[in-house]
Amino acid sequence: MISTNNLTKRYGEHIALDQLNLNVKEGEIYCLLGANGAGKTTTINLLLGFVEPSSGSAFINELEVQQHVKATKKFLAYIPENLMLYPSLTAVENLDYFSGIAGKRLSKTVLKEFLEESGLQSEAFDQRISTFSKGMRQKVGIAIALAKEAKVLLLDEPTSGLDPKASNEFGLLLQKLRKKGVATLMATHDLFRAKEVGTHIGIMKGGQLKQEFVVDNISLNELEDFYLKTMNYKEEVL
Amino acid sequence: MISKTFLKETRELFREGRVRISLVIVLLLLGIATWISAKQYQNVNAQYAAATTAERAIWDNQGEKNPHSAAHYGTYAFKPKYPLSLVDQGVDKYAGTSIFLEAHKRNEAQFSAAADQTGLARFGDLTPDFILLFIVPLLIILLGYNSFTKEREMGTLTLLKSQGISNWKWLFGKWSALFLPVLMITGILFLIAGVVLANLQDFGVFQWSSLGTMFLIYIAYYIVFINIVLLISALVKKSGISLVVSLCIWILACLAAPKAASNIAESKHPYPTRQEFAANVLKDKKEGLDGHNPWSKEAKLLEQEVLKEHGVDSLHQLPFNFDAYRMQKGEEHEAEVYFKHYNYLKDQYTNQSNVYRGLAAISPYLPTRFLSMALAHTDYATHWDFADAAEAYRITTQKFLNDNFKDNSSFGEWSYKANADTWKELPAFSYDPPELATVLDRNASNMGILGIWLLVSFGSLFITTKTI
Repeated sequence: MISTNNLTKRYGEHIALDQLNLNVKEGEIYCLLGANGAGKTTTINLLLGFVEPSSGSAFINELEVQQHVKATKKFLAYIPENLMLYPSLTAVENLDYFSGIAGKRLSKTVLKEFLEESGLQSEAFDQRISTFSKGMRQKVGIAIALAKEAKVLLLDEPTSGLDPKASNEFGLLLQKLRKKGVATLMATHDLFRAKEVGTHIGIMKGGQLKQEFVVDNISLNELEDFYLKTMNYKEEVL
Repeated sequence: MISKTFLKETRELFREGRVRISLVIVLLLLGIATWISAKQYQNVNAQYAAATTAERAIWDNQGEKNPHSAAHYGTYAFKPKYPLSLVDQGVDKYAGTSIFLEAHKRNEAQFSAAADQTGLARFGDLTPDFILLFIVPLLIILLGYNSFTKEREMGTLTLLKSQGISNWKWLFGKWSALFLPVLMITGILFLIAGVVLANLQDFGVFQWSSLGTMFLIYIAYYIVFINIVLLISALVKKSGISLVVSLCIWILACLAAPKAASNIAESKHPYPTRQEFAANVLKDKKEGLDGHNPWSKEAKLLEQEVLKEHGVDSLHQLPFNFDAYRMQKGEEHEAEVYFKHYNYLKDQYTNQSNVYRGLAAISPYLPTRFLSMALAHTDYATHWDFADAAEAYRITTQKFLNDNFKDNSSFGEWSYKANADTWKELPAFSYDPPELATVLDRNASNMGILGIWLLVSFGSLFITTKTI
């Protein structure tokens, strides 16, 4: 569903992403871990077609992104770190608009079903987004992905700034989507959340993918150890 | 996607306090301006009807009188106020409403509304054309300056892009949402104006086709502004900058360009001063026949020609009154002099108009203003038409009076008096303004320029939004 082939992005002399090779299949949640500037967001922007690669290629549902910028959008949903919606519109109206943009014509009842599925409380359906917390907005973002019937979900630090409860709820939603066969690529700092919701984890540093793990084959302590070593934090701490 | 974006934008617009307040203010201003104009229109037309009737009654009831005395007694040609002046008062206020028609002299229109007002008139009037030409474009700026910038600032642009938004459909949805309130406001004003005018009786012929054309011209003007405002919003990153740039363009297009155009036109093709004009006319008049002076060289020459033509030795032997004949010939000479000098003024006016038209390329306001005034029959071209019609009527009147004097008396019979019913034989002055087709034909270049503005603004907007 999501794959990259020697995907590279340079900004002048600076290499933001260096020959990344990734493969995320249906029903997998791939968590990209790394510090700021590791290349996580660049990867997502390249998969979205927002920036052009310097070399290599990115694929969504086996379509090369740069050649099929519009077509690949049909299969993916994107939730950024701070999902911004239209504050003067209600949750239902926002969902209606964003799913409409994606070519979906859905009744109000169906829209509310998606919001309910995303875990938003029913009292909030007809409230304006301006009154929503970040967690509530992220749920509307998931509802947008659900309504779009996206096969690919790209998440850029989606739990950053969420309280533990909201973060946990978000994790459960991702699991729900995974069971539906959605391939998810999530960029995050949150090692523990990655271990909790991910099926695969990659550790990035300086634009390179340094380590890859299958979550079931590694404990949280081992993961933390690898992460700190990769980041060269271990020695500093010791 | 177009309808979804349209609905979303409309919801956002109408849920914002500033938009609701602005719309209410504009509608209120339009209502007040239309009401004031309707009252003024009724008032002026009532005065016109009363003055026309009274003046004709005075003319008809002069009693027995020498026709040349009647010629000097004179009469007035009154300029009617046309129905669409309710929407656009144009230059009516400054152009004068009546022309005194008398022997030997072409007078200019006098009694302008502006002359009756105090210095406070410099602040201008609250008229529908002021709202339509200046305030509605401001409203467009207020509604649309952040149309694209807000998507960047709120962060919704990335989500929209990730949803695979089609730029042109997105643009058209936003465009429609901005166009709808403008269309509604303009539509309401024109509908009210149409209903008011259709129900006012005896005040000129009202044509829905002219009102409809004027409505379309204003809509084209607003479309240009909508395109410009959206273009700026698509080009710049911040809403504040977009607002400032849009306001600067409004100031340039609506305030600076017309005044600059006026100054440039006046400096390139100046009118003579009133003194120069009067001196030139007098000089040319003196070089020809003076109907009142039987001893001049020209009068003597005419006398000899007429005597020779009729094969007689004395003016007393002519079958008509030579004094009246000479005065008619004098009138014809004076009419030619006025024709020449007024044609020069008209040429200068045409040259100035051409400069304006050339400068219309820098502002959509200029062609719209010209078209609006022309359709309302409140432009200078219509005023010239009226003045020419009044002059033609003056010439006809003088010939009618001189012919009566000439045919019914003999040479030297200054005591002749035409009977009291004579005056009624002169047809009343009437003036019909140019038809809609003529107005449009005369203003083809203005329509062309507005059309170019539409095409260029649409093209630029479309190209720019492709790259967002």
